[in-house]
Amino acid sequence: MKKILYYFKIWLIISKNSFLNVIHQRLALAIFLVGKILRFVFFLAFLYFIVNSAGTLAGYSSHQAIFFFLTFNLIDIVSQFLFRDVYRFRPLVASGDFDLILVKPLNALFRVLMGGADFIDLVTIPPVIYALIWLGQSLNPSYFQVLMYIFLILNGLLIATSFHIAVLALGIITLEIDHTIMIYRDLMSLGRFPIDIYKEPLKGILTYLIPVGIMISLPTKALLGLVSPIGLFISFAVGVTVFVISLKLWDFALTKYTSASS
Amino acid sequence: MRKYLSIFKISFQQEFVYRLNFIMWRIRNVIQILLIFFLWDSVFSEPGKVLFGYDRARIITYVFGLIFIRSVVLSIRSIDVAGEISRGEFANYLIKPVSYFKYWFTRDLSSKALNILFAIFEFSLLFIILQPSFFMQTNLIYVIFFLLSLVIAILIYFLLVLLFSSFPFWYPEQAWGSIFLLFIFTEFLGGGMFPLDILPKNIQNILSFTPFPHLLFSPIQIYLGKLELGGSLKALSLSMIWVIILAFFVNKLWERGLKNYKSEGK
Repeated sequence: MKKILYYFKIWLIISKNSFLNVIHQRLALAIFLVGKILRFVFFLAFLYFIVNSAGTLAGYSSHQAIFFFLTFNLIDIVSQFLFRDVYRFRPLVASGDFDLILVKPLNALFRVLMGGADFIDLVTIPPVIYALIWLGQSLNPSYFQVLMYIFLILNGLLIATSFHIAVLALGIITLEIDHTIMIYRDLMSLGRFPIDIYKEPLKGILTYLIPVGIMISLPTKALLGLVSPIGLFISFAVGVTVFVISLKLWDFALTKYTSASS
Repeated sequence: MRKYLSIFKISFQQEFVYRLNFIMWRIRNVIQILLIFFLWDSVFSEPGKVLFGYDRARIITYVFGLIFIRSVVLSIRSIDVAGEISRGEFANYLIKPVSYFKYWFTRDLSSKALNILFAIFEFSLLFIILQPSFFMQTNLIYVIFFLLSLVIAILIYFLLVLLFSSFPFWYPEQAWGSIFLLFIFTEFLGGGMFPLDILPKNIQNILSFTPFPHLLFSPIQIYLGKLELGGSLKALSLSMIWVIILAFFVNKLWERGLKNYKSEGK
């Protein structure tokens, strides 16, 4: 517990520094905020027009399809808010400056994973949560379904964390971060819509191999009462397994770090 | 001309230096296409369904057409222009006997050439795997108009990139922000995510006053024959007008930008 508080305090300090840095560049903040809001609104409008005209999307109503999309956004934005520093990891490895993090009395993975919370994403989280609550009420879920939805969202965030750790590990081994993280985001974007729209074997791959389905689609399905207890158990098991594998991969990657250029 | 041919060759070879980067970029394109393909496949799952004036074959052709048109229009190297201005590296070109615009346009063409080769491969592969119904345009005039619209789209996108890249002349630390906005406009207002004619008529009318529909949406519409001959000619004329308007503004903006340029970072 003491250790968690210690790391939480550190996170608050580095996040505050990161926020101050962003607020200092007001124009950049405004441009990116406008860009992200536009992207969100465009996609929402597009989804609304399609599903409204088509009647349903893979059997889901327009409200349900939009709820899938909002859930995707919640997990995507929260993970970007927490793990923005992953995007800045490559120069540290390429220049050898990662040495300076390794020698600090701080877990190196924590520092590179959560070393710079993104203020722009923080601003967009409350509206998404509000929209989820507002739209979620119209889907009439039971308390148990809401509870399962929250747990599966946390499970989704655990999987997102694992992906980011894996990207960092691959960054050390291959020096490639930029495209790997974008491929992760593209794969994740396949969860913007219910996973049921995909055909096998892609659907199976997205459910179990790259668990985008478990990460994004399953929470909404649980809210709609479409997930069995076994399905819930498997989802949590996948979440924990992926997390453990990512930590192992990180440990392995550290043994491959050569401190080149330092 | 010879020096630009050399730039083309060198730039083409450079793409192979960062092979992993290039392959990753192509994988990203395929993932994006898969998302759109399965979405529309699901919407048009009922046989004989017609929605927004599209049947299954036409909408799938739209998605597959995007693979090719994205490679032709959106594959660019000039995305680095804003960064060069921002870092002060732009100053190096001012003393070289090359036209900066022609230099980047040549590099863009080399990038497009390589991307088209890969797009043909991806197109064939996805076609074999997904076995979609496909609309083959047999009217030669539409095919010629389509190819012409692609050439104009290339020019429009190049000019748009230059326009959005001029931002760092005044705000050197903001190189990426304006390009980020351009990407979002191109993706959604250009028809990269969905055909624009699924939107309500009044929104379509507003969009028709912007250059973005001429990047991806209009060429595919021409290919599909949805605009008919008169409409295709009108679309081509409008896109040419956009080339002229954008070229005028880019020149004016860069003239002013150069006066303001301080080569910061060098």
